[in-house]
Amino acid sequence: MSGGIIDPTKSRSTVTAAGTDASRPEQLRDLRVGLLENGKRNAAQVLDAVGHVLAERHGTGPLVPLIKKQFAMPLPDDLVDELLAGCDVVVIGVGDCGSCSASAVADGIRLEQAGLPAAVICTDAFETTSQAMAELKGDQAYPFILTEHPIANLTGEQIAQRAGGLAERVAERLLVGRPASEAA
Amino acid sequence: MTQNVDDSAAVDAALQQFRDMLANDGYLLTWSKSGEDQVVVQVEAGPDACADCLVPQPVMEAIMSEALEATPYRLDHVVLPAGEH
Repeated sequence: MSGGIIDPTKSRSTVTAAGTDASRPEQLRDLRVGLLENGKRNAAQVLDAVGHVLAERHGTGPLVPLIKKQFAMPLPDDLVDELLAGCDVVVIGVGDCGSCSASAVADGIRLEQAGLPAAVICTDAFETTSQAMAELKGDQAYPFILTEHPIANLTGEQIAQRAGGLAERVAERLLVGRPASEAA
Repeated sequence: MTQNVDDSAAVDAALQQFRDMLANDGYLLTWSKSGEDQVVVQVEAGPDACADCLVPQPVMEAIMSEALEATPYRLDHVVLPAGEH
């Protein structure tokens, strides 16, 4: 095995308020939607499909695809800056391994604290690591969206079907923030 | 405390979901007793283990400690694959 264990808990950002989300928009119409994919197989395809469903159903504005090149690492500061400057909301995913699911949650929390509404998608096989990271970041109730594991082997048609269901949960997360019933 | 079959089964049951989770990334989870009431959890890389997919030690230990709360044991420590820290 190559590289050591990378710690997505480490970041240069300053944690300001655990459990605090960014303020929510009243609607998604015309908003710029960041699609922050982690380079895992099918992650970009899933986020792109979700983005297009959001555009169809909610009239969102431009989709802004971005990639985090090291899936297990915290978001680099320059990418945070790019997201803050170029997006109104962001969808992060897909956390489908131990470190990348934890890292996706850490990234979501960081962006929320920086003022950018974020929806984080992880697969259900890694709910535990996602939740553990939320707790480690002091935000036990951080809502992340779970989808069935795996996604790496999905066909284009299956991704489109998956995106249809995910998009509404993403929209709810971006608009409502923390619903009483969290993602399942 | 004396170890018995029920206690071992409780640990097995408590760690099963994490055994399954780690298997998704190609890792094998085992455990052994340490002293009277502690458990050492060992994570080994399988031949197809996903490099960089393992969560860091603090996260892993937080997960295992919480899982063991339902058993008569508590976590001593987690042993990660050789060369990984």
